[in-house]
Amino acid sequence: MKTLNFANRNFKEIIRDPLSLIFSILLPLFLLFIFQQFEIPSNVYKIENFTPGILIFSFSFLTLFTATLISKDRATSLLTRLCASPMKASNYIIGYILSILPLVLVQNLLFFIVAIILGLKFTFNIILSVFISVPVSVLFIALGLIVGCITSDKASAGVSSIVVQLVAFTSGIYFEPEMLKGFFKTICEILPFSHCLNIIKSVLNNNYDNISNPIIIILIYIMAALIIAAALFNNKLKGDSK
Amino acid sequence: MTAITTKNLTKKYKDKIVVSSLNLEIQQGELFSLLGTNGAGKTTSIKMLSSLIMPTSGEIIIDNKNIKDNRTEIKQIINLSPQETAIAPNLTVLENLRFMAGVYGIKNKKEKINKLIDDFNLEEVKNQKSKTLSGGWQRRLSIALALINEPKILFLDEPTLGLDVIARRELWKIIRKLKGKITIILTTHYMEEAEQLSDRIGIMSKGSLLCIGTPNELIKRAETNNFEDAFVKLAMGDYME
Repeated sequence: MKTLNFANRNFKEIIRDPLSLIFSILLPLFLLFIFQQFEIPSNVYKIENFTPGILIFSFSFLTLFTATLISKDRATSLLTRLCASPMKASNYIIGYILSILPLVLVQNLLFFIVAIILGLKFTFNIILSVFISVPVSVLFIALGLIVGCITSDKASAGVSSIVVQLVAFTSGIYFEPEMLKGFFKTICEILPFSHCLNIIKSVLNNNYDNISNPIIIILIYIMAALIIAAALFNNKLKGDSK
Repeated sequence: MTAITTKNLTKKYKDKIVVSSLNLEIQQGELFSLLGTNGAGKTTSIKMLSSLIMPTSGEIIIDNKNIKDNRTEIKQIINLSPQETAIAPNLTVLENLRFMAGVYGIKNKKEKINKLIDDFNLEEVKNQKSKTLSGGWQRRLSIALALINEPKILFLDEPTLGLDVIARRELWKIIRKLKGKITIILTTHYMEEAEQLSDRIGIMSKGSLLCIGTPNELIKRAETNNFEDAFVKLAMGDYME
Protein backbone atom coordinates (compact mmCIF):
# COMPACT_ATOMS: atom_id res chain seq x y z
CA MET A 1 0.00 0.00 0.00
CA LYS A 2 2.84 2.38 0.83
CA THR A 3 4.31 1.72 -2.62
CA LEU A 4 1.00 2.36 -4.40
CA ASN A 5 0.41 5.47 -2.30
CA PHE A 6 3.84 6.76 -3.31
CA ALA A 7 3.31 5.80 -6.97
CA ASN A 8 -0.02 7.63 -6.97
CA ARG A 9 1.63 10.80 -5.70
CA ASN A 10 4.44 10.56 -8.28
CA PHE A 11 1.96 9.98 -11.11
CA LYS A 12 0.00 13.10 -10.13
CA GLU A 13 3.20 15.15 -9.97
CA ILE A 14 4.18 14.02 -13.47
CA ILE A 15 0.88 14.46 -15.26
CA ARG A 16 0.31 17.87 -13.70
CA ASP A 17 3.50 19.10 -15.34
CA PRO A 18 2.51 19.88 -18.95
CA LEU A 19 6.14 19.87 -20.10
CA SER A 20 6.31 16.15 -19.32
CA LEU A 21 3.50 15.43 -21.72
CA ILE A 22 4.85 17.76 -24.41
CA PHE A 23 8.29 16.14 -24.42
CA SER A 24 7.32 12.53 -23.89
CA ILE A 25 4.30 12.39 -26.19
CA LEU A 26 3.79 15.41 -28.45
CA LEU A 27 7.40 15.84 -29.62
CA PRO A 28 7.88 12.16 -30.59
CA LEU A 29 4.42 12.16 -32.22
CA PHE A 30 5.41 15.19 -34.25
CA LEU A 31 8.68 13.50 -35.30
CA LEU A 32 6.82 10.33 -36.26
CA PHE A 33 4.42 12.34 -38.40
CA ILE A 34 6.92 14.70 -40.00
CA PHE A 35 9.49 12.04 -40.98
CA GLN A 36 6.73 10.11 -42.76
CA GLN A 37 6.02 13.16 -44.92
CA PHE A 38 9.41 12.83 -46.65
CA GLU A 39 10.39 9.97 -48.88
CA ILE A 40 13.74 9.25 -47.28
CA PRO A 41 15.46 6.39 -49.09
CA SER A 42 16.43 4.44 -46.00
CA ASN A 43 14.90 1.41 -44.31
CA VAL A 44 15.05 3.05 -40.89
CA TYR A 45 12.39 5.56 -41.91
CA LYS A 46 9.91 2.90 -43.00
CA ILE A 47 6.94 3.10 -40.64
CA GLU A 48 7.49 -0.44 -39.25
CA ASN A 49 11.08 0.48 -38.29
CA PHE A 50 10.65 4.13 -37.40
CA THR A 51 7.73 3.60 -34.98
CA PRO A 52 9.82 1.44 -32.58
CA GLY A 53 12.60 4.04 -32.94
CA ILE A 54 10.29 6.87 -31.92
CA LEU A 55 9.04 4.75 -29.02
CA ILE A 56 12.61 4.27 -27.74
CA PHE A 57 13.32 7.96 -28.29
CA SER A 58 10.24 8.87 -26.23
CA PHE A 59 11.43 6.51 -23.46
CA SER A 60 14.60 8.58 -23.13
CA PHE A 61 12.39 11.37 -21.77
CA LEU A 62 11.27 9.00 -19.01
CA THR A 63 14.86 9.15 -17.74
CA LEU A 64 14.56 12.92 -17.70
CA PHE A 65 11.22 12.97 -15.83
CA THR A 66 12.27 10.39 -13.27
CA ALA A 67 15.57 12.17 -12.63
CA THR A 68 13.88 15.57 -12.39
CA LEU A 69 11.20 14.28 -10.02
CA ILE A 70 13.72 12.65 -7.68
CA SER A 71 16.18 15.52 -7.72
CA LYS A 72 13.31 17.96 -7.00
CA ASP A 73 12.12 15.73 -4.16
CA ARG A 74 15.65 15.92 -2.79
CA ALA A 75 15.95 19.69 -3.29
CA THR A 76 12.63 20.43 -1.59
CA SER A 77 13.53 18.00 1.21
CA LEU A 78 10.41 15.93 0.55
CA LEU A 79 12.72 12.94 0.28
CA THR A 80 14.27 13.92 3.62
CA ARG A 81 10.80 13.89 5.17
CA LEU A 82 10.10 10.50 3.59
CA CYS A 83 13.49 9.11 4.66
CA ALA A 84 12.50 9.83 8.26
CA SER A 85 9.34 7.77 7.70
CA PRO A 86 9.10 3.97 7.78
CA MET A 87 9.27 3.70 3.96
CA LYS A 88 11.91 1.33 2.58
CA ALA A 89 14.17 1.62 -0.48
CA SER A 90 11.97 -0.91 -2.31
CA ASN A 91 8.89 1.30 -1.71
CA TYR A 92 10.66 4.22 -3.38
CA ILE A 93 12.05 2.32 -6.36
CA ILE A 94 8.89 0.38 -7.18
CA GLY A 95 6.82 3.51 -6.46
CA TYR A 96 8.78 5.58 -8.95
CA ILE A 97 8.66 2.81 -11.60
CA LEU A 98 4.92 2.17 -11.22
CA SER A 99 4.11 5.86 -11.50
CA ILE A 100 5.80 6.10 -14.92
CA LEU A 101 4.31 2.93 -16.45
CA PRO A 102 0.88 4.46 -17.26
CA LEU A 103 2.74 7.08 -19.29
CA VAL A 104 4.57 4.27 -21.14
CA LEU A 105 1.22 2.71 -22.06
CA VAL A 106 -0.18 6.05 -23.25
CA GLN A 107 2.96 6.62 -25.38
CA ASN A 108 2.60 3.15 -26.91
CA LEU A 109 -1.08 3.57 -27.59
CA LEU A 110 -0.78 6.98 -29.24
CA PHE A 111 2.32 6.17 -31.30
CA PHE A 112 0.85 2.96 -32.69
CA ILE A 113 -2.51 4.62 -33.45
CA VAL A 114 -0.74 7.40 -35.36
CA ALA A 115 1.55 4.84 -37.03
CA ILE A 116 -1.51 2.84 -38.19
CA ILE A 117 -3.04 6.05 -39.56
CA LEU A 118 0.27 6.68 -41.37
CA GLY A 119 0.27 3.23 -42.92
CA LEU A 120 1.48 0.65 -40.36
CA LYS A 121 -0.45 -2.58 -40.85
CA PHE A 122 -2.40 -3.60 -37.74
CA THR A 123 -1.27 -7.03 -36.57
CA PHE A 124 -1.11 -8.93 -33.29
CA ASN A 125 2.61 -8.02 -33.24
CA ILE A 126 1.66 -4.47 -32.25
CA ILE A 127 0.10 -5.79 -29.03
CA LEU A 128 3.20 -7.93 -28.39
CA SER A 129 5.39 -4.87 -29.01
CA VAL A 130 3.44 -2.92 -26.40
CA PHE A 131 3.98 -5.75 -23.88
CA ILE A 132 7.70 -6.06 -24.58
CA SER A 133 8.21 -2.29 -24.46
CA VAL A 134 7.09 -2.12 -20.81
CA PRO A 135 10.13 -3.99 -19.38
CA VAL A 136 12.36 -2.12 -21.85
CA SER A 137 11.04 1.18 -20.45
CA VAL A 138 12.10 0.07 -16.95
CA LEU A 139 15.72 0.49 -18.05
CA PHE A 140 15.10 4.17 -18.84
CA ILE A 141 13.25 4.74 -15.56
CA ALA A 142 16.08 3.04 -13.64
CA LEU A 143 18.60 5.33 -15.37
CA GLY A 144 16.46 8.25 -14.21
CA LEU A 145 16.53 6.90 -10.66
CA ILE A 146 20.33 6.85 -10.75
CA VAL A 147 20.67 10.32 -12.29
CA GLY A 148 18.10 11.75 -9.84
CA CYS A 149 19.97 10.28 -6.87
CA ILE A 150 23.37 11.66 -7.80
CA THR A 151 22.64 15.05 -9.39
CA SER A 152 21.10 18.26 -8.12
CA ASP A 153 17.71 19.49 -9.36
CA LYS A 154 19.52 21.98 -11.61
CA ALA A 155 21.93 19.42 -13.06
CA SER A 156 19.51 16.50 -13.47
CA ALA A 157 17.87 17.79 -16.66
CA GLY A 158 21.26 18.45 -18.25
CA VAL A 159 22.65 15.04 -17.34
CA SER A 160 19.45 13.31 -18.46
CA SER A 161 19.58 15.09 -21.79
CA ILE A 162 22.85 13.20 -22.40
CA VAL A 163 20.73 10.03 -22.35
CA VAL A 164 18.30 11.63 -24.81
CA GLN A 165 21.21 12.47 -27.14
CA LEU A 166 22.80 9.04 -26.74
CA VAL A 167 19.51 7.40 -27.64
CA ALA A 168 19.20 9.61 -30.71
CA PHE A 169 22.73 8.94 -31.92
CA THR A 170 23.50 5.37 -30.83
CA SER A 171 20.22 3.49 -31.09
CA GLY A 172 19.94 3.48 -34.88
CA ILE A 173 16.70 5.46 -35.01
CA TYR A 174 17.95 7.87 -37.63
CA PHE A 175 20.55 5.85 -39.56
CA GLU A 176 21.35 2.28 -40.49
CA PRO A 177 23.66 0.50 -38.03
CA GLU A 178 25.61 -0.78 -41.05
CA MET A 179 26.75 2.79 -41.73
CA LEU A 180 28.73 2.80 -38.48
CA LYS A 181 32.37 1.88 -38.25
CA GLY A 182 35.23 1.73 -35.74
CA PHE A 183 35.00 3.33 -32.32
CA PHE A 184 31.49 4.73 -32.76
CA LYS A 185 30.19 1.30 -33.77
CA THR A 186 31.75 -0.24 -30.63
CA ILE A 187 30.11 2.46 -28.47
CA CYS A 188 26.73 1.74 -30.07
CA GLU A 189 27.14 -1.97 -29.38
CA ILE A 190 28.21 -1.45 -25.78
CA LEU A 191 25.38 0.96 -24.94
CA PRO A 192 21.94 -0.60 -24.49
CA PHE A 193 19.89 1.67 -26.71
CA SER A 194 20.37 -0.04 -30.07
CA HIS A 195 19.50 -3.35 -28.37
CA CYS A 196 16.30 -1.81 -26.98
CA LEU A 197 15.35 -0.75 -30.48
CA ASN A 198 16.23 -4.15 -31.96
CA ILE A 199 13.98 -5.96 -29.47
CA ILE A 200 10.88 -3.91 -30.26
CA LYS A 201 11.64 -3.82 -33.98
CA SER A 202 12.04 -7.62 -34.05
CA VAL A 203 8.74 -8.18 -32.25
CA LEU A 204 6.83 -5.69 -34.38
CA ASN A 205 8.20 -7.17 -37.61
CA ASN A 206 7.79 -10.79 -36.47
CA ASN A 207 11.49 -11.43 -36.95
CA TYR A 208 12.81 -13.31 -33.94
CA ASP A 209 16.09 -14.59 -35.47
CA ASN A 210 18.43 -12.21 -33.65
CA ILE A 211 16.39 -11.24 -30.60
CA SER A 212 18.01 -13.40 -27.89
CA ASN A 213 21.26 -11.41 -27.58
CA PRO A 214 19.56 -8.01 -27.26
CA ILE A 215 17.17 -9.46 -24.64
CA ILE A 216 20.07 -10.85 -22.58
CA ILE A 217 21.99 -7.56 -22.84
CA ILE A 218 18.95 -5.48 -21.85
CA LEU A 219 18.10 -7.78 -18.93
CA ILE A 220 21.68 -7.40 -17.64
CA TYR A 221 21.44 -3.61 -18.04
CA ILE A 222 18.06 -3.47 -16.26
CA MET A 223 19.32 -5.60 -13.36
CA ALA A 224 22.52 -3.56 -13.04
CA ALA A 225 20.65 -0.23 -13.19
CA LEU A 226 18.10 -1.36 -10.58
CA ILE A 227 20.82 -2.69 -8.26
CA ILE A 228 22.73 0.61 -8.52
CA ALA A 229 19.51 2.60 -7.95
CA ALA A 230 18.63 0.44 -4.92
CA ALA A 231 22.13 0.87 -3.50
CA LEU A 232 21.92 4.64 -3.93
CA PHE A 233 18.54 4.77 -2.23
CA ASN A 234 19.71 2.53 0.59
CA ASN A 235 22.68 4.80 0.99
CA LYS A 236 20.30 7.76 1.28
CA LEU A 237 18.10 5.96 3.78
CA LYS A 238 21.07 5.01 5.92
CA GLY A 239 22.14 8.61 5.66
CA ASP A 240 25.71 7.87 4.74
CA SER A 241 25.72 10.29 1.86
CA LYS A 242 24.43 13.42 3.55
CA MET B 1 10.46 10.72 31.87
CA THR B 2 13.30 11.09 29.37
CA ALA B 3 12.31 11.19 25.70
CA ILE B 4 15.77 11.56 24.14
CA THR B 5 19.23 10.83 25.50
CA THR B 6 22.43 11.24 23.58
CA LYS B 7 25.79 10.01 24.82
CA ASN B 8 28.97 11.39 23.26
CA LEU B 9 27.19 11.79 19.94
CA THR B 10 29.73 12.57 17.24
CA LYS B 11 29.56 13.04 13.49
CA LYS B 12 32.64 13.31 11.32
CA TYR B 13 32.89 13.79 7.58
CA LYS B 14 36.38 12.50 6.74
CA ASP B 15 38.57 14.50 9.14
CA LYS B 16 36.06 17.26 9.79
CA ILE B 17 34.16 16.98 13.09
CA VAL B 18 30.67 18.40 12.54
CA VAL B 19 29.19 17.39 15.90
CA SER B 20 31.48 16.58 18.79
CA SER B 21 30.51 14.51 21.86
CA LEU B 22 26.99 15.85 22.21
CA ASN B 23 25.39 14.85 25.52
CA LEU B 24 21.71 15.69 25.90
CA GLU B 25 18.77 14.64 28.02
CA ILE B 26 15.43 15.91 26.79
CA GLN B 27 12.31 15.28 28.82
CA GLN B 28 8.96 14.12 27.46
CA GLY B 29 6.74 17.05 26.49
CA GLU B 30 9.66 19.48 26.61
CA LEU B 31 10.31 22.03 23.87
CA PHE B 32 14.06 22.05 23.51
CA SER B 33 15.79 24.46 21.14
CA LEU B 34 19.20 24.15 19.61
CA LEU B 35 20.77 27.48 18.82
CA GLY B 36 24.04 28.30 17.16
CA THR B 37 25.70 30.18 14.38
CA ASN B 38 25.78 28.79 10.83
CA GLY B 39 27.74 25.55 10.75
CA ALA B 40 27.38 25.03 14.49
CA GLY B 41 26.07 21.49 13.97
CA LYS B 42 22.37 22.03 14.74
CA THR B 43 20.95 20.54 11.55
CA THR B 44 23.41 17.62 11.62
CA SER B 45 22.35 16.93 15.23
CA ILE B 46 18.67 16.97 14.22
CA LYS B 47 19.42 14.68 11.28
CA MET B 48 21.11 12.18 13.59
CA LEU B 49 18.31 12.38 16.16
CA SER B 50 15.67 11.88 13.48
CA SER B 51 17.56 8.86 12.09
CA LEU B 52 18.33 10.53 8.77
CA ILE B 53 22.06 10.11 9.22
CA MET B 54 23.98 7.68 11.37
CA PRO B 55 26.43 9.04 13.93
CA THR B 56 30.12 8.29 13.56
CA SER B 57 30.17 7.36 17.24
CA GLY B 58 28.07 7.73 20.36
CA GLU B 59 24.55 6.67 21.24
CA ILE B 60 21.03 7.96 20.74
CA ILE B 61 18.27 6.59 22.96
CA ILE B 62 14.73 7.55 21.94
CA ASP B 63 11.73 6.34 23.95
CA ASN B 64 14.12 3.98 25.78
CA LYS B 65 15.26 2.40 22.53
CA ASN B 66 18.69 2.65 20.97
CA ILE B 67 18.29 4.15 17.52
CA LYS B 68 21.00 1.90 16.09
CA ASP B 69 19.00 -1.30 16.64
CA ASN B 70 15.43 0.06 16.51
CA ARG B 71 15.44 2.44 13.58
CA THR B 72 12.19 1.23 12.01
CA GLU B 73 10.28 1.29 15.32
CA ILE B 74 11.59 4.73 16.17
CA LYS B 75 10.62 6.06 12.75
CA GLN B 76 6.98 5.28 13.62
CA ILE B 77 6.99 7.60 16.66
CA ILE B 78 8.98 10.55 15.32
CA ASN B 79 8.43 13.03 12.54
CA LEU B 80 10.10 16.13 11.24
CA SER B 81 9.52 19.33 9.38
CA PRO B 82 12.77 20.00 7.52
CA GLN B 83 14.36 23.39 6.82
CA GLU B 84 12.78 23.45 3.36
CA THR B 85 9.00 23.06 3.24
CA ALA B 86 9.19 19.43 2.03
CA ILE B 87 5.77 19.27 0.43
CA ALA B 88 4.65 17.74 -2.89
CA PRO B 89 4.31 20.91 -5.02
CA ASN B 90 1.77 19.73 -7.60
CA LEU B 91 -0.54 18.13 -5.05
CA THR B 92 -3.24 20.07 -3.25
CA VAL B 93 -3.10 20.58 0.50
CA LEU B 94 -5.63 17.78 0.98
CA GLU B 95 -3.72 15.44 -1.36
CA ASN B 96 -0.49 16.16 0.52
CA LEU B 97 -2.17 15.18 3.79
CA ARG B 98 -3.66 12.04 2.22
CA PHE B 99 -0.27 11.13 0.75
CA MET B 100 1.53 11.43 4.09
CA ALA B 101 -1.26 9.52 5.84
CA GLY B 102 -0.64 6.73 3.31
CA VAL B 103 3.11 6.84 3.98
CA TYR B 104 2.47 6.11 7.67
CA GLY B 105 -0.40 3.71 7.00
CA ILE B 106 -2.80 5.78 9.14
CA LYS B 107 -6.02 3.84 9.75
CA ASN B 108 -8.52 6.58 10.65
CA LYS B 109 -7.20 8.65 7.75
CA LYS B 110 -10.27 10.83 7.16
CA GLU B 111 -10.77 11.81 10.79
CA LYS B 112 -7.09 12.51 11.28
CA ILE B 113 -6.88 14.69 8.16
CA ASN B 114 -10.04 16.62 9.07
CA LYS B 115 -8.64 17.29 12.53
CA LEU B 116 -5.37 18.61 11.10
CA ILE B 117 -7.29 20.82 8.64
CA ASP B 118 -9.25 22.23 11.59
CA ASP B 119 -6.24 22.61 13.90
CA PHE B 120 -4.16 24.37 11.27
CA ASN B 121 -7.06 26.35 9.72
CA LEU B 122 -6.32 24.82 6.31
CA GLU B 123 -9.96 24.66 5.19
CA GLU B 124 -9.76 27.70 2.89
CA VAL B 125 -6.69 26.37 1.04
CA LYS B 126 -7.32 22.63 1.17
CA ASN B 127 -8.01 22.32 -2.56
CA GLN B 128 -5.20 24.63 -3.61
CA LYS B 129 -1.99 23.22 -5.12
CA SER B 130 0.65 23.54 -2.46
CA LYS B 131 3.15 25.23 -4.79
CA THR B 132 0.72 28.17 -5.09
CA LEU B 133 0.54 28.74 -1.33
CA SER B 134 2.40 31.57 0.39
CA GLY B 135 5.48 30.73 2.47
CA GLY B 136 3.48 30.94 5.69
CA TRP B 137 0.82 28.50 4.49
CA GLN B 138 3.47 26.12 3.14
CA ARG B 139 5.21 26.06 6.54
CA ARG B 140 1.88 25.50 8.21
CA LEU B 141 1.18 22.58 5.90
CA SER B 142 4.71 21.26 6.47
CA ILE B 143 4.12 21.09 10.24
CA ALA B 144 0.64 19.59 9.74
CA LEU B 145 2.22 16.85 7.59
CA ALA B 146 4.72 16.17 10.36
CA LEU B 147 1.86 15.56 12.81
CA ILE B 148 -0.01 13.05 10.65
CA ASN B 149 1.31 10.04 12.59
CA GLU B 150 0.74 11.71 15.99
CA PRO B 151 4.47 11.56 16.76
CA LYS B 152 5.81 11.41 20.29
CA ILE B 153 8.79 13.46 19.14
CA LEU B 154 8.69 16.24 16.55
CA PHE B 155 11.78 17.82 15.00
CA LEU B 156 11.32 21.34 13.66
CA ASP B 157 14.33 22.54 11.70
CA GLU B 158 14.09 26.33 11.38
CA PRO B 159 10.30 26.23 10.96
CA THR B 160 9.85 29.98 10.50
CA LEU B 161 12.82 30.62 8.22
CA GLY B 162 12.06 33.39 5.74
CA LEU B 163 8.56 34.13 7.03
CA ASP B 164 7.21 37.60 7.70
CA VAL B 165 6.50 38.58 11.28
CA ILE B 166 2.76 37.87 11.09
CA ALA B 167 3.20 34.42 9.56
CA ARG B 168 5.91 33.69 12.14
CA ARG B 169 3.64 34.67 15.03
CA GLU B 170 0.87 32.48 13.58
CA LEU B 171 3.23 29.52 13.55
CA TRP B 172 4.32 30.27 17.11
CA LYS B 173 0.67 29.96 18.16
CA ILE B 174 0.51 26.53 16.55
CA ILE B 175 3.78 25.40 18.14
CA ARG B 176 2.63 26.68 21.57
CA LYS B 177 -0.53 24.57 21.25
CA LEU B 178 1.65 21.48 20.75
CA LYS B 179 3.82 22.21 23.77
CA GLY B 180 3.50 19.70 26.57
CA LYS B 181 1.65 17.22 24.36
CA ILE B 182 4.68 16.10 22.37
CA THR B 183 8.42 16.51 22.72
CA ILE B 184 9.65 19.15 20.30
CA ILE B 185 13.22 19.72 19.21
CA LEU B 186 13.53 23.02 17.41
CA THR B 187 16.40 24.77 15.69
CA THR B 188 16.20 28.45 14.87
CA HIS B 189 18.26 31.52 14.13
CA TYR B 190 15.64 33.80 15.67
CA MET B 191 16.52 34.58 19.28
CA GLU B 192 13.06 35.88 20.10
CA GLU B 193 11.54 32.66 18.80
CA ALA B 194 13.78 30.50 20.96
CA GLU B 195 13.17 32.66 24.02
CA GLN B 196 9.39 32.75 23.54
CA LEU B 197 8.85 29.08 22.79
CA SER B 198 11.54 27.02 24.52
CA ASP B 199 11.53 25.31 27.88
CA ARG B 200 15.28 24.89 27.58
CA ILE B 201 17.88 25.98 25.06
CA GLY B 202 21.21 24.45 24.08
CA ILE B 203 23.78 26.69 22.42
CA MET B 204 26.13 25.05 19.95
CA SER B 205 29.27 26.33 18.32
CA LYS B 206 31.67 24.54 15.99
CA GLY B 207 29.97 21.21 16.66
CA SER B 208 30.07 21.39 20.45
CA LEU B 209 27.33 22.12 22.94
CA LEU B 210 28.58 25.13 24.88
CA CYS B 211 25.82 25.53 27.44
CA ILE B 212 22.27 24.55 28.24
CA GLY B 213 19.50 26.07 30.33
CA THR B 214 16.21 27.95 30.36
CA PRO B 215 16.25 31.34 28.59
CA ASN B 216 16.39 33.13 31.96
CA GLU B 217 19.18 30.90 33.22
CA LEU B 218 21.25 31.63 30.12
CA ILE B 219 20.69 35.39 30.46
CA LYS B 220 21.77 35.15 34.08
CA ARG B 221 24.85 33.09 33.28
CA ALA B 222 25.94 35.47 30.55
CA GLU B 223 25.23 38.46 32.81
CA THR B 224 23.40 40.35 30.06
CA ASN B 225 20.10 42.22 29.92
CA ASN B 226 18.48 40.27 27.13
CA PHE B 227 18.60 36.88 25.46
CA GLU B 228 20.17 38.00 22.19
CA ASP B 229 23.16 39.51 23.99
CA ALA B 230 23.38 36.40 26.13
CA PHE B 231 23.45 34.21 23.01
CA VAL B 232 26.18 36.31 21.37
CA LYS B 233 28.30 36.20 24.51
CA LEU B 234 27.78 32.48 25.05
CA ALA B 235 28.20 31.48 21.38
CA MET B 236 31.41 33.51 21.15
CA GLY B 237 32.74 31.23 23.88
CA ASP B 238 32.90 33.86 26.60
CA TYR B 239 31.26 31.35 28.86
CA MET B 240 31.86 27.63 29.11
CA GLU B 241 29.75 25.31 31.24
